[in-house]
Amino acid sequence: MKTFRVLLMANAKQFVRERAALFWTFVFPIFFILIFGAVFSGSMEDVNFEVGLVIEDDSSLAQNMSVALEQIPAFTLTIGDRDTEMQALRDGDRRAVIIVNAGFGESITQGQPTDIDVYYDPTQTSSVQILLPIIQKVIDNFDRALSGTAPLIYLNEETLQSRNLRAIDYLVPGILAMALMQLGLFAVAPIVVDRENKVLKRLGATPLKRSTMISSTVVFNLIVAVIQAALIILIARLVFDVPMLGNWFYLAGFILLGTLTFLAMGYMLSAFARNEQTLMPLLMIVQFPMMFLSGIFFPLEMMPGFMRPIMDAIPLTYLADSLRQIMVESAPLHSHLVNLGVLGAWFAVCLILAVRFFKWE
Amino acid sequence: MKAVVKVDHLRKSYKDIKAVSDISFRVYEGEIFGMLGPNGAGKTTTMEIVEGIRKADSGRVSVLGIDVRKNPRQVKSNIGVQLQTTSLYPRLTVSEVMALFASFYPRSASISRLIKLVDLEDSRKKRCKNLSGGQQQRLSIALALVNNPKVIFLDEPTSGLDPQSRHNIWGIIEYVRGKGKSVFITTHYMEEAQRLCDRVAIVDHGKIIATDAPDKLVSQHFQEEAIEFELSQKLDDDDLRAVSGVTNVVQENGKVIVYSNAVPVTVSALLDMAKQRGFELTNLYVRRATLEDVFLKLTGRRIRE
Repeated sequence: MKTFRVLLMANAKQFVRERAALFWTFVFPIFFILIFGAVFSGSMEDVNFEVGLVIEDDSSLAQNMSVALEQIPAFTLTIGDRDTEMQALRDGDRRAVIIVNAGFGESITQGQPTDIDVYYDPTQTSSVQILLPIIQKVIDNFDRALSGTAPLIYLNEETLQSRNLRAIDYLVPGILAMALMQLGLFAVAPIVVDRENKVLKRLGATPLKRSTMISSTVVFNLIVAVIQAALIILIARLVFDVPMLGNWFYLAGFILLGTLTFLAMGYMLSAFARNEQTLMPLLMIVQFPMMFLSGIFFPLEMMPGFMRPIMDAIPLTYLADSLRQIMVESAPLHSHLVNLGVLGAWFAVCLILAVRFFKWE
Repeated sequence: MKAVVKVDHLRKSYKDIKAVSDISFRVYEGEIFGMLGPNGAGKTTTMEIVEGIRKADSGRVSVLGIDVRKNPRQVKSNIGVQLQTTSLYPRLTVSEVMALFASFYPRSASISRLIKLVDLEDSRKKRCKNLSGGQQQRLSIALALVNNPKVIFLDEPTSGLDPQSRHNIWGIIEYVRGKGKSVFITTHYMEEAQRLCDRVAIVDHGKIIATDAPDKLVSQHFQEEAIEFELSQKLDDDDLRAVSGVTNVVQENGKVIVYSNAVPVTVSALLDMAKQRGFELTNLYVRRATLEDVFLKLTGRRIRE
């Protein structure tokens, strides 16, 4: 136990004495948040989407639909005919156009499912990330009201207004996931340097157990992960008022599981690298696709279909999804259980391969 | 005398290369035992097997009565080790590294006393990366002593150091022996083996070819002295062997060593011959035979090519 404690302290001392490690772990993710935050800046009140509404149905249900949409504070609703509104969308004057087709009221009264069309510009990230969920929510509420005995239109304005609106809210949990991934993957680098410099060999000539050595660095990295996450959450809260709505224990659990998964992945990848010079490019090659194909910066819907299997395979997608759900209550891609399962599977596979192929010399 | 290290019929191959083939030796309590030989002779492999960080193909090794193959951790707890390459946590300070290594053992020596022993008191707060080569080497010797071991293994402890640092380290090693500890070193420096070791095993191609005290090794193989010189043209070994007093001749790259049991006679005969045949004889000097000469005699080549 004393050995473990001394090793942990030695890890910490070496970490704080290396400026590069401090920068990548703490400064870099904060930079990301500040820069993206500035780009997508604007509080709730400032967020304003020009939304066109085209009603081609004269039933009272269709009218109620427009009332419901008018109540969304983030929308500036323009009601017009189809040609004018679609032209306005093409000209960039609208972010989205919602079309209630003729026969909408009639279908519903007869109990048949019917469509509402939404046109939007997919190159506008915020359209996809923010507009669509809001519109979906409105329609869901509307739908639920119709099928139930509740008042015809019951809009859960609290949920809608308070959250799921700003790009920064989506981004911060993603950046957190990204930071944990980088922390985990690159944590193996000092070990590879120690191996190259024969420090590991020297340790092998002492009665120190390998398991004690590895577990002390793993625990150290988990501590760093928690500090890093706390810092990111705190800065995002102070500067951009990004909330932490969910359960802190779930959050901590996913942070730890995510870090462990990427730690194991880093150790596994180090088996393919002779030294630090070959390890670094390898880690880069692995981390970049994960960064850009996990929905942190670009919504998954924007990606070409053939990329989809990759996006569905990488663990970062699932970590970011759960962190988003917990922190800002975003619409889930998958349930927590699925995310947990996929991350756990990645962890188990990487761990087994790491134990099997990690080279001590 | 009690043997603290016993090695019997040790063998180790890497793929097709026999690194160690049938080596047996003893290291006794309170002695400095050296393995002398060129790079690649199998010294490091042998030492690392005894330390328990490498596995032998066959043979028996016991350290302080403990079987290394069966109880490597128990052996490691009781020995001190310095590896050939020294690189220790560049961002930790001298006293931090000492404390870290001390924590690996059930009991440890006084760290401040060890730092004093290796003369690093002024550098105790220095980070390892800022130490000179000699200081790093002394630190790694201090680390080898941190668990107060009975046997210490030093792999080329003065390799690449300047003469002063080398003498410092010899002083430390002799002090350690004075404390009743046994020291097992490897070296490819003749001078080091001759000056420092109580007994030397000469190793070549994975085999021990002679073991004894340095002086005894020399006197066993040479009653004569060595005369070294350079010649402006090559002569046959036989011509030189015919010179009176000469017992043996070695020529290498224009450099000649003749061994003679009658040095004054041989030297004057050599000078006469040079005059008669009209070639130049330069840089002549006479010295006692050394371990290097023993190595040369036994293997036909110098230890450092």
